[in-house]
Amino acid sequence: MLIVTCVKQVPDTTQVKVDPVTGTLIREGVPFIINPFDTYALEESLRLKEKYGFRVAVISMGPPNTEVTLRKALSLGADEVILLSDRAFGGADTLATSMVLAEAIKKLGKKDEVAMVICGRQTIDGDTAQVGPGIATRLGYSQLTLVDHIENVDLNAKKIRVRRRLEGRHELVEAPLPAMIAVLREINRPRYPTVPMRIFAQDAPVILWNNKEMGLREDTIGLKGSATQVRKIFSPHREKGEIIGDGVKDPQASARLLVERLKEKNILIL
Amino acid sequence: MEEEKKIRKPRGIAKLIPGKCIACGARCQSACPEDAIEMNDKGEPVINLEKCIGCRRCIKVCPAEALEIFYTPEEQKILEQIAASTSAKGTGTKEVSIEEAAATAHIKEYRGVWVFVEHTEGEPATVSWELLGAGAKLAKTLGVELCSIVIGDKVEHLCQESFEYGASRVYLLDAPVFHYYRTETYNKAICYLVKKYKPEILLMGATGLGRDLAGAVATKLNTGLTADCTGLDVDEKGFLLQTRPAFGGNIMATIFTERTRPQMSTVRPHVMLLPCKDTSHKGEIVREFFAIKEDEVAVKVLEIIKGQRAECDLTAADVIVSGGRGMQGKENFEMLQQLADELGGAVGCSRAVVEAGWMPAERQVGQTGKTVRPKIYIACGISGAIQHLVGMQNSDVIIAINLDKNAPIFEVATYGIVGDVFQVVPAIIDYIRELRTGEICSISESKNSIGKE
Amino acid sequence: MLIYISTIIFAAAIALFFWSCYRRFRLLTLGRPEPKNRFNDIGKRIGGVLYYAFGQRCTVSHGYRFGWNHLVLFWSFMILLIANTEFLLEGLFPDSISFSLLPPGVYHPLAVLIEIASVLALLAVCIAVIRRLAFPPSYMEARSVDAFIILSLIALLMLAFFGLHASEIAQGTEKAANFMPVSNFVASAFFSDVPAGSLNGYIDAFWWLHAIVLLVFLNYLPYSKHMHILTGIPNVYLRSLTKVNTQPGEDFKKGNEFGVGRIDQFTWKNLTDSYSCTECGRCSDNCPATITGKMLNPRLVIHNMKINLLVNGPGIMKNKETVLPLIKGGIEGSVAEQVLWDCTTCGACMEVCPVFIEHVVEIVDMRRNLVEMKAKVPEELIALFENIEQRSNPWGIAPGDRTKWTADLDVKPFETGKTEYLFYVGCFGSFDARSKKVSQAISKILNASGISWGILGKEELCCGDSMRRLGNEFVFDRMTLENIRMFKEKGIKKVITQCPHCYNTFKNDYRQYGVELEVVHHTDLIYDMIKSGKLNLDVNDAKDFGNLVFHDSCYLGRYNGIYEAPRNVIASVTGRAPIEMERRKDRSFCCGAGGGRMWMEEDTGNLINVERVKEAMKKDPKTICVCCPYCMTMFEDGIKGIKADDKVQVLDLAEIVSRALK
Repeated sequence: MLIVTCVKQVPDTTQVKVDPVTGTLIREGVPFIINPFDTYALEESLRLKEKYGFRVAVISMGPPNTEVTLRKALSLGADEVILLSDRAFGGADTLATSMVLAEAIKKLGKKDEVAMVICGRQTIDGDTAQVGPGIATRLGYSQLTLVDHIENVDLNAKKIRVRRRLEGRHELVEAPLPAMIAVLREINRPRYPTVPMRIFAQDAPVILWNNKEMGLREDTIGLKGSATQVRKIFSPHREKGEIIGDGVKDPQASARLLVERLKEKNILIL
Repeated sequence: MEEEKKIRKPRGIAKLIPGKCIACGARCQSACPEDAIEMNDKGEPVINLEKCIGCRRCIKVCPAEALEIFYTPEEQKILEQIAASTSAKGTGTKEVSIEEAAATAHIKEYRGVWVFVEHTEGEPATVSWELLGAGAKLAKTLGVELCSIVIGDKVEHLCQESFEYGASRVYLLDAPVFHYYRTETYNKAICYLVKKYKPEILLMGATGLGRDLAGAVATKLNTGLTADCTGLDVDEKGFLLQTRPAFGGNIMATIFTERTRPQMSTVRPHVMLLPCKDTSHKGEIVREFFAIKEDEVAVKVLEIIKGQRAECDLTAADVIVSGGRGMQGKENFEMLQQLADELGGAVGCSRAVVEAGWMPAERQVGQTGKTVRPKIYIACGISGAIQHLVGMQNSDVIIAINLDKNAPIFEVATYGIVGDVFQVVPAIIDYIRELRTGEICSISESKNSIGKE
Repeated sequence: MLIYISTIIFAAAIALFFWSCYRRFRLLTLGRPEPKNRFNDIGKRIGGVLYYAFGQRCTVSHGYRFGWNHLVLFWSFMILLIANTEFLLEGLFPDSISFSLLPPGVYHPLAVLIEIASVLALLAVCIAVIRRLAFPPSYMEARSVDAFIILSLIALLMLAFFGLHASEIAQGTEKAANFMPVSNFVASAFFSDVPAGSLNGYIDAFWWLHAIVLLVFLNYLPYSKHMHILTGIPNVYLRSLTKVNTQPGEDFKKGNEFGVGRIDQFTWKNLTDSYSCTECGRCSDNCPATITGKMLNPRLVIHNMKINLLVNGPGIMKNKETVLPLIKGGIEGSVAEQVLWDCTTCGACMEVCPVFIEHVVEIVDMRRNLVEMKAKVPEELIALFENIEQRSNPWGIAPGDRTKWTADLDVKPFETGKTEYLFYVGCFGSFDARSKKVSQAISKILNASGISWGILGKEELCCGDSMRRLGNEFVFDRMTLENIRMFKEKGIKKVITQCPHCYNTFKNDYRQYGVELEVVHHTDLIYDMIKSGKLNLDVNDAKDFGNLVFHDSCYLGRYNGIYEAPRNVIASVTGRAPIEMERRKDRSFCCGAGGGRMWMEEDTGNLINVERVKEAMKKDPKTICVCCPYCMTMFEDGIKGIKADDKVQVLDLAEIVSRALK
């Protein structure tokens, strides 16, 4: 039985800065990292592997340098890593991305039965949280997003029981396998790789699937398969560092002003 | 067309404008018909000058306007000559391709703005009503109807409430199988309605439920979906312009769906203004029946566990009121707890507080404690040592209250009050309580575009 | 007949002793090869042995009241070693070997010497017993059965010695009787009334008592803490000839194991260390972790290493599985994980160790095993590791922010071929609000001095100190190579550091990579500038600083011997020497942040920084001067912790100097 973990290599958005003068994005020197949310997905996959004996395959769609991220997955204990890379996959929105990933999972499923697909909640560059549901819908898997705890996997009955966290409540859900699980950061603490594993990962194989291998229709993938388009980008109006009133002389007034400001900006809803 | 002319119009070559590329994910490369673009390790395009034919497709798809056409001085000269001659003749009409025409015809079939009414066992999510407010403006601009969809078990009361918030028609699916939200049942139900009634816009709240559902629906309908929007608008062609933060909030992107319908968005709660209720407003309820039997649905919701969420988990709290050494003692944290209770948040603290034994270690925010990203972080009596800052600086709004105006916490604060926490915090609590009792509905109509950017 | 019996017993006992020694010492061959040359520079090594071992340099120095007692015992022992060797040989070859066969000119002085040594040894043993009973050292084992057995054996040996000689004198068979004042006295006091016929019996009895005690003592030695009598001096000989201010590198090849998780993964020298421990407790007496009630006790770490070797060694020799884990993760093991993480790598233990045990190297080796082989580290460290690896600073802040402190200042980037000095700001100096002010002060001083300097700005990377001390050698290795590549590419040869940790890393750790950088810490640089008159200072302006207490940073002081430069700088700026704390210079007490402790929780015992701050506060300071961003943070925190922040300020040396700039 196989767990497929989907990861993405993303620019480290915490390092991205906006030039205060020109308003353009300063990306220089910003490294690509494994999407932080995906590290929890990988960790959960590895824990399930240790507990139930799954194999873990990690897939990622991206440019060739995504290999670095996949090697990191190998160093943490993934059994197999597959890079989905082709110029035809480029420029994809979530719809076109989930297409390639779902097809890759299908392809993996031909060799070994897929029990679960585990994704991170969302990526830090796109923040959409849509690829997971996209994969689940395309594959017809049970869709379990916002999972903060996997309670039990019943391999005989092919069922999984998870806890989902929604606004103001948790939900205990039971679903049949195969399932797509998108996990929250609170689900675990990702491990740190050992050095022998890192050394092993340096020259372990990274399988490359391009569209020749995948054979997908060009109008369903990449830019052409994307339903959304970006009209424009601009830098957000940022409010930073406003000192409110004179809190030493008149704390009451400062407090009132602050609450008013928060209400005005819709930050505080009373 | 250029070929027919005597002077061949130079097409130029695409060129990257330094510093503007955002490494969007190789849109330009994907758009290039000649494979003239390779991406470098930084995710930026490197254009092969030999191969580029100057077709401009890359320029069109670039969201960051980071590509331009570059002409040699000779080409520039020729262009000027052409410009001079064509301006004399007058410009020709713009051509419309057959594909484009077919797509336009297809999307014309879709009309109306829909809002999905989210609820938990009949208890509506406020964001749904905020969306009716935003949807009303879109519907008005487009000259179409504003409808809502209510799916659930014994939820007819939500139809009436939808009308009161501005919907003129509600599509209602009321059956026991919809008692709990489950992706599969709701997805199928919505797709059924969409296929039947063809709305052009479908809005949902960017809540846990809304984002779970929207992702599934959009994939099933094979249409565009934009997540977590903070602004909605309609352009002159009637396209829905959806503005949302990306890149960790460092940039805003305006996204639209060109060829498919409906245009779907999830919208961040608390961004759109909540419209005033109009109890006199009435509308039509369209009862729909979509047969799914309970035993066909394998996913079961076993239990709903409510409440105490923020209490038990600091990282999940939307509001965190945090205290530092400036709180001076264990007993003073009660005051922060009161403020946290008022705001529905949790109390956190700095390392010094844990070391002093005023709070347990699981409340600690910072390098060696928890990393939090709440919507509001209120730092009380925290000077803002770097070990603390790294644990909370990605919060949406940071409010700092500290007596020392040189405290580093003010460098990251959105709002700061230089003052005594023991005076300021009680004053905030009092004022919030005062407002709570006398709250009235207010809606400002002055904004042109809906929401904030 | 009796003669043959004694020969047999002597031969058997001596053989048993050598057999015991062989069994113990062959376990040392289990160790890995030692990266450092332990046999070079013989002259220096012998000199060291004379100075430290025979001169008992460490035992008598630094206020150890009973150190003199050990010196006396040691030297008495040295002399008695000759006497007892004679005794053993006489036992083996009766009547053929004896001092009495020597010419009187040699024998008589020797007899006097042995007499004196015996008296002194007896006295020293009595003092040692009294001390253990009346003023016991802090740890319990000093009063162990082991200690008393040994002391009683020595005492008995001395008594038998006097008894033997006294009875011989009484019998009139001792030729050198006139040169044995004590034995003579004993003879006249106790044996004058004994009938001559019984004296033979006494002689035999005392001879046998002496013989048996000596043989028991000899055979007890290898099994007791007094093994140090055999290993101590060799360990001094094998000591590191340079300061132990770095840890050896590792070879990251496939199939290698990293760090030390099993006793035989230590080098043979590490194992020799464990055999050499005298259990004197100086290390624990000076360890900031032990003093503040943490689990770590350096003496026990070394002791437990020895126990582990004795338990597992014979099995490992036969290629069997180990029975006792070295690192204690769960219930069983010699050294608990928490013990390893408690270490601040301050080096106080190594500084005071009389036999040059390298505790920190061994602790870091075991940390390496936890990090590199097991990835088992305190939770808070994972974030640190990821941050440093991904963003090359401990907090994971965007590298672009490294230059924020330079706003409104005249700070130029380092230019290859043009700039002379690189000012390596370091992570604290770049990101930490308080330390940024120190960076600004340094830049003011540098500008005032007129030297050519520049910074790397956002290209600057973390030096990797915390990674190495925490045992993440793999990442440290990568970071070092990256830094060295950049330094070479930019032609950087001279580096000024703000942080003693960066300083030590560049100077001592990077040296292992074949890089010889001219590294200077700002204290040294400022001192040089003042000496050469490059800085124009308003001397005698003490009003800002009041009582000024100076705190030695471990990595500047103990690690690199820089004690006088900061003191001289303070004297030139304020017109008077700083006030000294009780624990200072090579006995300075760590702030608690070194060795990666900065990034860990301190949840057992008292806070190290508070302990140190309290010590400083005894001197009623208005200013505490530090030279290290870690110390700065720990002092400021500690001062706030005891609510003294309205009374005292913490300033870096550079800030004190920059305020005095004209």
